[in-house]
Amino acid sequence: MKAAAFDYVRPASVAEACALLAEDADSKVMAGGQSLGPMLNLRLARPARLIDITRIPELGRVEESADAVTLGAVVTHAAIEDRRVADPTHGFLSRVARGIAYRAVRSRGTIGGSLAHADPAADWVSSLTALGAEVLITRADGTQRRLPVEDFIQGALASALEPGEILDGVRIPRFSAEARFGFEKICRKTGEFAEAMGVAVHDPARGVCRIVAGAAGGRPVVIEASRGAGARLLERFADAAAVHDMLTEAGLAGDAYRMRLHVAAVRRAVEEIRR
Amino acid sequence: MTTVTIEVNGKAVTAEVTPRTHLADFLREQLLLTGTHVGCEHGVCGACTVEIDGEIARSCITFAVACDGATVRTIEGFDDDPLMARLRDAFSTSHALQCGYCTPGQLVAARDLIRRKSIEPDLDIRTEMSGNLCRCTGYAGIVAAIETVAAEQPAVPALARDRWAGPAPGPGAATAAPVKPAAPAAAPKVTAPRPAAPKPAAPKPAAPKPAAPSAPSRPVEVEVGPVTVEAGETRFTQTFVLEHPGDAVWALMRDPEQVAACMPGLALDPPGEDGRLTGRMEVKLGPIAAGFSGEGTMRRDDAARRMAIEGRGSDRRSGSRASGRVDYTLADTTADTGAAATRVDCVIAFTLQGPLAQFGRSDLVRDLVGRIGAAFATNVDVRLRAPDGATVAPAELGGASLLLGVLFGRIRRAVMRMLGRGS
Ligand SMILES: Cc1cc2nc3c(=O)[nH]c(=O)nc-3n(C[C@H](O)[C@H](O)[C@H](O)COP(=O)(O)OP(=O)(O)OC[C@H]3O[C@@H](n4cnc5c(N)ncnc54)[C@H](O)[C@@H]3O)c2cc1C
Ligand code: FES
Ligand code: FES
Repeated sequence: MKAAAFDYVRPASVAEACALLAEDADSKVMAGGQSLGPMLNLRLARPARLIDITRIPELGRVEESADAVTLGAVVTHAAIEDRRVADPTHGFLSRVARGIAYRAVRSRGTIGGSLAHADPAADWVSSLTALGAEVLITRADGTQRRLPVEDFIQGALASALEPGEILDGVRIPRFSAEARFGFEKICRKTGEFAEAMGVAVHDPARGVCRIVAGAAGGRPVVIEASRGAGARLLERFADAAAVHDMLTEAGLAGDAYRMRLHVAAVRRAVEEIRR
Repeated sequence: MTTVTIEVNGKAVTAEVTPRTHLADFLREQLLLTGTHVGCEHGVCGACTVEIDGEIARSCITFAVACDGATVRTIEGFDDDPLMARLRDAFSTSHALQCGYCTPGQLVAARDLIRRKSIEPDLDIRTEMSGNLCRCTGYAGIVAAIETVAAEQPAVPALARDRWAGPAPGPGAATAAPVKPAAPAAAPKVTAPRPAAPKPAAPKPAAPKPAAPSAPSRPVEVEVGPVTVEAGETRFTQTFVLEHPGDAVWALMRDPEQVAACMPGLALDPPGEDGRLTGRMEVKLGPIAAGFSGEGTMRRDDAARRMAIEGRGSDRRSGSRASGRVDYTLADTTADTGAAATRVDCVIAFTLQGPLAQFGRSDLVRDLVGRIGAAFATNVDVRLRAPDGATVAPAELGGASLLLGVLFGRIRRAVMRMLGRGS
């Protein structure tokens, strides 16, 4: 099927994009178009106007500071996969990127579009939650705000973006050399959206230990250890029944089959960093 | 129409395109380059794979207008490429094609894979090529052909590593419609002929801000049972407890008009002469937005405190239709505080037909209905706590939670029907 007619604008700055977005509620931002494109072709989405943000220089930026790397919203999965942009996780970001869809989708799909789309099964939604990354948002009036990815994702296809706001970047904290990362994506066909996803991050030097169960239909579930208690938390994942209880308690729900998938994904991710 | 300049297979092409034309259609129908095939048109099959600025991409979900200033290479553009010639040979030798429909995409993707990864010792061709579907060969021949050529480790010029990190072509591209940095309104703008939608002279407000409810809202937890889909009908249960006595809750929930007012996005028409009620429900799920107009009927059992609502509606813009039922029963219970409370048990079922029904992500439904239910229950709670006569602001879902709306659409439509006979 073909997309219904729409107007197209191509702003040169975030401010211009915000102004365009604010002047017409029926406008939609388009980044890589790899989620929006299918929805337009299927006529699930019929915005009156697309605002193409891929020509905005600041959205392709990579900023490095002592404690974090900020990637502009339109940095593609492929650029991350190829390690063409700084990676504060010593290669974990690249590994996650490689498992998203297919190369011909990764070359246009963007990290910001993935978060803004807020598909619970998306790889960045779970993995950036586990990394404790933050989303940077520019408001229509030009002011900025930021919030953790886990608060930004509010549910299935629901983000904290208010009308007129643009996600302008993602700030990912730097991890120490001894940090370990575990990742398990369960899907029936390579490159598909996950049926269950487990992410485990342990960085004793920074006192971070976060385990995320994702792709559960809503926002990712986070299980976190307080500073220094990381190793003990990881121990608890040896017992499948205990993991099932932890996930249920954390709000994850599903039938017996789905719960088994979630438990397996999380345990495999944890297993990877306990090895 | 807008003018774009795209370099296609080495030649600069300047052409008029409508913004909705995807790159594959532009190549095939305007440039008659029919080597690029169109299979699924939503990014899944890979038949339409081409190169844009040297990176492979899906031409079916990339709009031609977004390629203004880019360099595009289709299967026709690889005629003189030595690596592609090698691959073509290997494909024939290994019987890597039968009908040939997938082949242009397979070749373009395979060449890219070899360019990027032939030196990797543990190259997993099946995984890497999983974005290109073939309905004929069973893949063995395709994998063998790529293996053969990859083993030769041909040298292919690499792309610059410091190139634009976003989707091609990025800000530096020389477009047909250059971006003027001057005034804020200088963004190149292309207007598609859109009948029934006159541009408002004044900017539309982004979203009406809801008035604050007269009583502060406290979240009500909603439990959603498993979601099942059977013969096109999606069904689930929902339960929540309101800290109000049964009489009070039933007084509200027996009145369709009040129920409707608690449903975010639902607007009821004034009751008509025949007593039938109709209304409109705005729903939004991510980029999906729909406005369902509908009508409904209801059956009410005051003794059992039970209501059954049925409804039907359609979204004129997408041509989608929906029908649904909501059944709810009230039961007395006790809150944690020991106060009298009411449990509301709902059974909800709906069917969606038309374009919107293509959104077959039942895994998202549970989250959606939970959020819709929570918003509804919270609104009921606010209404019940409002002092008599106080005006209660119409219920609104926050921007984010509007996604629940798809289901709500049905619920609301159903509510409208109830209104039909009951009030
Ligand atoms: C066949 C296929 C398989 C896929 N498989 C996977 C998978 O396994 N895992 C996975 O994670 N993803 C998968 N995807 C999705 C892909 O990763 C998308 O690239 C991504 O979800 C959206 O990024 P985008 O840049 O294409 O966004 P777009 O499609 O351009 O936009 C998506 C939504 O976000 C909004 N938006 C985009 N950018 C911004 C911004 N900066 N500010 C505000 N709003 C914005 C848009 O308005 C739109 O509503 C798949 C896609 C396809 C086609
Ligand atoms: S036609 Fe483009 S991926 Fe199927
Ligand atoms: S050869 Fe027929 S689809 Fe691949």
